[in-house]
Amino acid sequence: MRLRTLASLAALVLAGAVPAGCASTASPTTGGGGSGGHFVVAYSQSNNAEPYRAQLNIQLQYFMKKYKDVTLLPIADAKQSSATQVSQVQQFVQRKVNALIVSPNEPAPLTAAVKQACQAKIPVVILDRSVNTDCYSAFIGGDNYVAGKKAGELAVKLLPNGGTVGELQGILSDQPQIDRDRGFRDAVKANPKIRISVHREAKWLKDDATRITGQWLAQGQHLDLVYAQNDPMALGAYLAASSAGKEKSMKFIGTDGLAIPDGGIRAVQQGQLAGTFIYPTCAKQAAETVNALLHHRKVAKKTTLDIVAVTPDNAAQMYRDNDFSKFR
Amino acid sequence: MTGDATTATAEGPTRLVGWRRAVSLLGSLQGYIGLVLVLAFGIVTRGGTFLSQSNLTNAVGAFASRGILAVGETLVILTAGIDLSVGSMLGLASMVSAMLLVNQNLPPWVILPACMLCGAVMGLANGIGTTWLRIQPFVMTLATLSVFRGIDRQLSDNVSVGTQVAGADGKLTGNADSFQLFGTPGHNLFTGVVGAGVYYPVLAFVVVCVVGQLALSQTRFGRHVYAVGGNEAAARLSGVNTDRVKIAVFTLCGLLAGFAGPIDAAYSASADPLAGTSYELDAIAAAVIGGASLAGGRGSIVGTFVGALILTLLDNVLGLNAVSDNLQLIIKGCIVVVAVVLQRPDLLRGAADFVRRVARRGAPASTGRSS
Repeated sequence: MRLRTLASLAALVLAGAVPAGCASTASPTTGGGGSGGHFVVAYSQSNNAEPYRAQLNIQLQYFMKKYKDVTLLPIADAKQSSATQVSQVQQFVQRKVNALIVSPNEPAPLTAAVKQACQAKIPVVILDRSVNTDCYSAFIGGDNYVAGKKAGELAVKLLPNGGTVGELQGILSDQPQIDRDRGFRDAVKANPKIRISVHREAKWLKDDATRITGQWLAQGQHLDLVYAQNDPMALGAYLAASSAGKEKSMKFIGTDGLAIPDGGIRAVQQGQLAGTFIYPTCAKQAAETVNALLHHRKVAKKTTLDIVAVTPDNAAQMYRDNDFSKFR
Repeated sequence: MTGDATTATAEGPTRLVGWRRAVSLLGSLQGYIGLVLVLAFGIVTRGGTFLSQSNLTNAVGAFASRGILAVGETLVILTAGIDLSVGSMLGLASMVSAMLLVNQNLPPWVILPACMLCGAVMGLANGIGTTWLRIQPFVMTLATLSVFRGIDRQLSDNVSVGTQVAGADGKLTGNADSFQLFGTPGHNLFTGVVGAGVYYPVLAFVVVCVVGQLALSQTRFGRHVYAVGGNEAAARLSGVNTDRVKIAVFTLCGLLAGFAGPIDAAYSASADPLAGTSYELDAIAAAVIGGASLAGGRGSIVGTFVGALILTLLDNVLGLNAVSDNLQLIIKGCIVVVAVVLQRPDLLRGAADFVRRVARRGAPASTGRSS
């Protein structure tokens, strides 16, 4: 009995010593920054596998390279797990990085970890999703309500005589879904003749959107316009409509506006989508803000970036402006 | 099952034989009851719309790639194994197909065998891990689920690859245009020859099922698959090379996942790095609803085909009836339970015996006459 207690005590001591050792050896190399020195910045991404976030990663790496005295550590991917992300942020705090950028997977679980970084006097820049504390240096994000609202305004413009609309939603419990839905519905109220006749959860996925739109058309639903809360779903709806030969008589609106060959801007250029809206990745602003913080300059506590509309007229230009594939 | 009827004569009065025979016949057909119920539900609520060729093509086509995975999964399950990596294999194969098209501009008839080879190699790795390295199939394929997905994401750099490649003239390139025949909605084979044409994913799914069922029921390999799943030690003692059978089914499962890859890419007109995520669950569900036992040795491809139809037609019927998304989840889960219960003749017989006992106690004169 006593032997086992001793053994587990020894294990505990060892377990405590190992991370402590790591931290102390790591600090001279990474924590040695300061004014005029070299800075180390870490970025915790909630999920590399989302195209929007993959794009954000590429852009952030590109913009951070512009600052010669700043090194961006390899991006940590939390793989959509808040628990993983908390431990990643804690590891960065242990490493004593000079600044931290976090795209929270969820607000509540990340709050404590961000507080820990703040208490360790590490400047934290929060991207896109908020945390439930004021103990951070800057927040930069887009506004999903505005993204939905602008899409709704475009729908009103495209359907001057009213009409029926199908809405393809992301995962129903996701905050961006809730906000984009609310914004869209508020905006289409401007024309009482516009009716959202069907709406379904397509989980942000293209193949689900294809299947569901196919079912709507098979039901004999007359749809003048499909609003999808992201571009893959809008393109899935387009596929289903073109299979039924109805793509010419319907309009499609997406959101996200990624400048990738498979993305929404290209689809607007090709006339598949009537429009999409660039939800900002915030990468450029994040890099600028981090650099300012490292050099002890003042930054805005909260920045909300504009949602830019992509139309057939500006699509080519927008693609050129946002294409980062050459920096991959 | 016919044996049950003869034993019944020994233990019960002769007038029970007819009843037993009816139950036994019902037992052999009850796998289809679920499908009949779903079809009936669809026809009653949405008659013409539901039965229209375009709707059925949409419904089966949307599930075809998962259905093909389910056939491979059934082979593995029959040997008492499980393959959790089918979704990842499909994802990687779909990415490979899109990249071969976009980067190498290869024609579809080169892409398809390349993807099948790619899938077969992945399946072979699963087979080798489970036999030579003696890793349990669950663990081995859980590991490769992660490995194959990682390769997929590394290859694509997490960016989806569109398959509708436009040439300099703004039109689709020849190869991209013919790639659409793999299943981009609205693109059919043999248009003009057979009415509106044949939708390749549906054709591919049906052909894979037919070939799979024939291989299982008519060949020595098929008998060996059942033997290994039924009793591995006995199979080995009677001269079956059990390791070779297991490696073969895993390789075939991978090959079929590779075969389904281009279908999935064409269906979305794009290969997503996350394509196929959680498809293994649908594949396993189709096999189990179709009567396969996870303990091995029991099941058939026909059953899996029926299971796949139940899953996709149910989704279609609920969608056509505009049932709310939350409610759909509940209904689909309950249907799985009902379908699996219907697959169990012993349960049905037990219930029938119970009813008869209660009836006998209530009114002794009418024993068994209800049949």
